[in-house]
Amino acid sequence: MCETCGCGVPSVHTIAVHERLLASNESIAEHNRLHLTTRKIFTINLMGAPGAGKTTLLEAMIRGRSRSGRFVVIEGDQATDRDSARIRLAGASAYQIETGLGCHLEATQIHHALHHLEFAGGETLILENVGNLVCPALFDLGEHLRVLVTAPTEGVEKPLKYPPIFRAADIVLLNKCDLIPYLSFDSGEWTEYVRGVNPRAAIFELSAATGDGLAAWLAELERRRFGFLGSDASVP
Amino acid sequence: MHEVALARGLLEIVERTLTPRDRRVVRVNVSIGAAAGIVSESLTFAFLAIAEGTRAQGAELVITTVPARSRCRACKTSYAFEGLIGRCPGCGCLGGELQSGNEMVLQTIEVADV
Repeated sequence: MCETCGCGVPSVHTIAVHERLLASNESIAEHNRLHLTTRKIFTINLMGAPGAGKTTLLEAMIRGRSRSGRFVVIEGDQATDRDSARIRLAGASAYQIETGLGCHLEATQIHHALHHLEFAGGETLILENVGNLVCPALFDLGEHLRVLVTAPTEGVEKPLKYPPIFRAADIVLLNKCDLIPYLSFDSGEWTEYVRGVNPRAAIFELSAATGDGLAAWLAELERRRFGFLGSDASVP
Repeated sequence: MHEVALARGLLEIVERTLTPRDRRVVRVNVSIGAAAGIVSESLTFAFLAIAEGTRAQGAELVITTVPARSRCRACKTSYAFEGLIGRCPGCGCLGGELQSGNEMVLQTIEVADV
């Protein structure tokens, strides 16, 4: 109450905070990143709309015998363990997170999942986010690289309609390129929109179904991984 | 609905900032970038709902919008824009490097002792 006369009028004071709203998620993400970096586990946050072909791309990458170390996958879906079953069938170990009502993965879920997976060190860990072009953009998981998978079936204007997630990506993959002849999709126009939203993102066009363009993407992944590993490229 | 997760983060910071002397939160002041993709109404609604039963119950959430600015990738002009993406007023080029408008910060909390 009022300290001058005790009249009962509450005294209000202001506390300066100046902290980011997602500070708690970000500090857990930093913890994850430190853990993964120390163990030389190159980690990718794979984002994209439902049906963009994220899991099919992962299957192709695993089967493509990339030299980017052994793949380990953490799958995020609202429900079912179908995707982690597909990943295991393709030949990689996988852990499924069912997010229920959650529309994106958060750092604490990855932290929990890491305790359920075995690593020798030197693996490439892929965090397949919940299919969603909005929410995953905001949540750092502790990854080293953010990759957005998109497809020509989504239309040329997706970068303009969902700028934050295109802005958050280090690499944008245009999957399902084998379908372009059947669609009214202008790659040049789409590329221009991606560049407008994110001038720094590297863009790769490929098809997980036919394998076209996959080698170039895997070579880039390897280049990034070696950059991450630094001079110590002796890790398998 | 990432606003629910944001509201949760917000409440977490509020609760860990309050001291035992702080009885009730009157107002929470946050600044949100205009290009961050946050719906103010959703954030306010989510915060009201999850603050129930805490010292922040009934607190007013004041959201100040930080204008978005972009730097043109062609002519390097820095310009303000509305919406999630802009167009350079100098050369007409789309978008560019975001300079501000992506922030989400809890600035101050106003608390009462009664």
